Amino acid sequence: MKIKSYSKVLSALAISSLLLAACSDDTEKSSTKEKKGKAVEQVDASKFPTKTTNQGEPIKGGHLTYGLVSDTPFEGILNKVFYQGEPDNQVITFFDEDLLDTDENYVFTNDGAATYEISDDHKTVTLTIKDNVNWHDGKPVTGEDLEYAYLVMGSKDYKGVRYDEQMALIEGMEEYHEGKADSISGIKVDGKKIIFTFKKANPSVTTGLWTYPLHKEYLKDVPIADLESSDKIRKNPIGFGPFKVKKIVQGEAVEFEANKDYYRGEPKLDSITLKVVNPSVVVKSLENGDLDVAEVLAEQYDQAKELDNIELLGKVELAYSYIGFNFGYYDKEKEENIMDENPKFGDKRLRQAMAYAINNEEVGEKMYKGLRFPANSVITPNFKYNNKDVKAYEYDPEKAKKLLDEAGFVDTNKDGIREDADGKEFKINFASMSGSDVSEPLARYYIQQWEQVGLDVELQDGRLHEFNSFYDLLKKDNDKVDVYSAAWGVASDPDPSGLWARSAEFNYTRWVNDKNDELLAKGISEEAFDDQYRIDTYNEWQELIHEEVPVIPTLFRYQLAGVNERVTGYDYLAGRQYQWHNVGVTK
Amino acid sequence: MWKFILRRLLVMIPQLFLLSIIVFMMAKAMPGDALSGQEINPRANPAELDRIREELGLNDPWYQQYLRWASNAVQGDFGISYTHKTPVMDVIEDRLWNTVFLALVTLIFTYMLAIPLGILSGRYNDTWVDKTVTGYSYVGFGTPIFIFALIMLFIFGFALDWFPSGGSVDSKVDEGTFAYVVSKINHLILPALSTALIATTSTIQYLRNEIIDNKIKDFVRTARSKGVPESKVYSRHILRNSFLPIAAFLGYEITGLIGGAVIIETIFSYPGLGQLFLSSVSLRDFSVVTAIVMMTGFATLLGTLLSDIILSAVDPRIRIE
Repeated sequence: MKIKSYSKVLSALAISSLLLAACSDDTEKSSTKEKKGKAVEQVDASKFPTKTTNQGEPIKGGHLTYGLVSDTPFEGILNKVFYQGEPDNQVITFFDEDLLDTDENYVFTNDGAATYEISDDHKTVTLTIKDNVNWHDGKPVTGEDLEYAYLVMGSKDYKGVRYDEQMALIEGMEEYHEGKADSISGIKVDGKKIIFTFKKANPSVTTGLWTYPLHKEYLKDVPIADLESSDKIRKNPIGFGPFKVKKIVQGEAVEFEANKDYYRGEPKLDSITLKVVNPSVVVKSLENGDLDVAEVLAEQYDQAKELDNIELLGKVELAYSYIGFNFGYYDKEKEENIMDENPKFGDKRLRQAMAYAINNEEVGEKMYKGLRFPANSVITPNFKYNNKDVKAYEYDPEKAKKLLDEAGFVDTNKDGIREDADGKEFKINFASMSGSDVSEPLARYYIQQWEQVGLDVELQDGRLHEFNSFYDLLKKDNDKVDVYSAAWGVASDPDPSGLWARSAEFNYTRWVNDKNDELLAKGISEEAFDDQYRIDTYNEWQELIHEEVPVIPTLFRYQLAGVNERVTGYDYLAGRQYQWHNVGVTK
Repeated sequence: MWKFILRRLLVMIPQLFLLSIIVFMMAKAMPGDALSGQEINPRANPAELDRIREELGLNDPWYQQYLRWASNAVQGDFGISYTHKTPVMDVIEDRLWNTVFLALVTLIFTYMLAIPLGILSGRYNDTWVDKTVTGYSYVGFGTPIFIFALIMLFIFGFALDWFPSGGSVDSKVDEGTFAYVVSKINHLILPALSTALIATTSTIQYLRNEIIDNKIKDFVRTARSKGVPESKVYSRHILRNSFLPIAAFLGYEITGLIGGAVIIETIFSYPGLGQLFLSSVSLRDFSVVTAIVMMTGFATLLGTLLSDIILSAVDPRIRIE
């Protein structure tokens, strides 16, 4: 299973441990000429190579240096059950993995350490771990190890955040979590087999099931509460991945050596060094060969593309930027979003007008050096569920004005600013996050664009808000915020419920809609195991979002990696990015 | 003397107590907590997050949290870091030594540069030597460290490739070997030198002004008229007196370096306290933030005490009663 969580996306420089954003500039030339007819689906990941082109024979005893790009060091919690920051997650991928592999749609395959089968009623999933899958200490990986992961995460003593609603769907999991049972009745282990029984069929199981085991024999002596701080997790972690941890220099580097017994075959490299590098020196380090592989941030894209000795690989990031409207508040008691009776932005023509007033293509090209592109939906284009027929709102100020006129927002006192339908002053408070060099100009740009169609928009408190304060504002349902611009990193599971459901606390717009509820439920119903049904459902859902515009999706983004030309077999595409056993060097 | 030191140490207790309250309140006033800025799984029950918050005591009023924290802190227990999942003192200890080494080497470099230059420019004031040194120290004074450090990094770390461009040690060498020590020092030189080169200003200027002042003092004229050789006039009479303020500032310098390492450590990806502080603030890891502030606060108080003691030791006119 891939990254399971959504996250609030920060600009690259803010808290860089979360997401490192980068994009493409390929739209530079073509777009000026054919501005009108340019459809969003033209922009796809294929514009960047995802694989290294070096076809040479890897040398024996090769060594590779990987740059972990982050301005916060990794914390050294080297286990997926416990880690907190993204840097740790990257370290883990070298020596440990999930039992099930995923394809480029983030759906489980049978190519990994285990195979899976789903029963006809879709309520039981059986995992069979392959015979040659062993921990680095030679012990076989068993069903009990995976069960142990669930026992730990469900335990009262577990302080991490990985226990989620999907886990709670397993029979007996909630009882165990509440301390009413000593074991989980819905998990049955038989040697290398493990059977999960769910209370309810949910197609998200094919992308979201937790399949990362814990080495029970190695870890069982440590009390669950102490696991995260134990040396067995932090200093001498044991996994079953292609490389073994040889040495850790706390917070700055890790030495890996090849795991010769790796179940997919012996790795082509002998050893890997992972180093934490400050974002400001990544390109220089790639240039002089200090690093063989490293992520390249958008800020450094210009420099990176000039380098002869590296290849730039790219893929669409699991994230979207958006502009959201405030419709109401979250009722903690009922655990439900409640829309105001008469929300300020209740008229969808007003919201559509604001969408037509901004030129996302220009923002992507000019502010992000052509490195981001207009978003047509809130399901990112790396999913097959992205509805290609839904087009992004294109810049059309005349249409915006017309829509506003229709909605009754007209300038009655001739001061150049539109009044609302009742002829009263209409002021909009806009909140935006600080963090990167573009934050400020971008916020000003939006305001200016809206002013041009006659709307009076003011920056909330006259300034940008730092990440935490910004989300604090949203969480408190501060009535002062009318419109805000933010971003989400999305999960490998296409189900948008976590951000859009009536009950979702992260649904910061507080927008609720019956059709929305119905479609979200359909998307995770038993019928949705039929992929076409699920695609149709999400297509319909995206049309609804497009029509209702509770948020204006603004930009998608690319993620880039610089790879030295001596590297072979590196594939940046999701699902294959961490197959380090395939990677070699030719020099 | 001992009574004085003891008294000063006792006064530190209320000072630190006050500092702890301020720091604690300010930390709590920051929006968000260790759970909110992190990747939170929206599929996780919000109740689940609340359960963790409740367990960590984050929902209690600040004074309750403070009391809990303070009663542990006086016993040397600063709690558990939420991001690092390990006791705060362990997290700090890992990095403390890196920062201490960096501060020491920086201090040595600073004095190695500043003292000879200050002496030269004071002794030969208003010559081209003096003008060059003064010019350098003004440039140093006006140069922002984050730009200068980056330039140094690009010249010596990348273009010339003389020094490693980040980290505190080469991960390939084994602890305890000679190569390990060499690698550690090698990683220290560039950040230390970058700081030292532009930290010399105050020392050079103090020294220069003191020397120029002392040169025309009566006791120097007396020495000269007695026929004391010029070199001795400087080494015995002028320099001794001119070093007084420098010595007195030593204590402050040390604390200044520990607190001021934030920028240099970040640029050189050098895992020290400054870098830890910065990332802990942005990740809202309160327990680490408060512990570091308390430690730097304590170091500052100790540094001023140290300065006073040095001053009384080197200047016979000052006696602490």
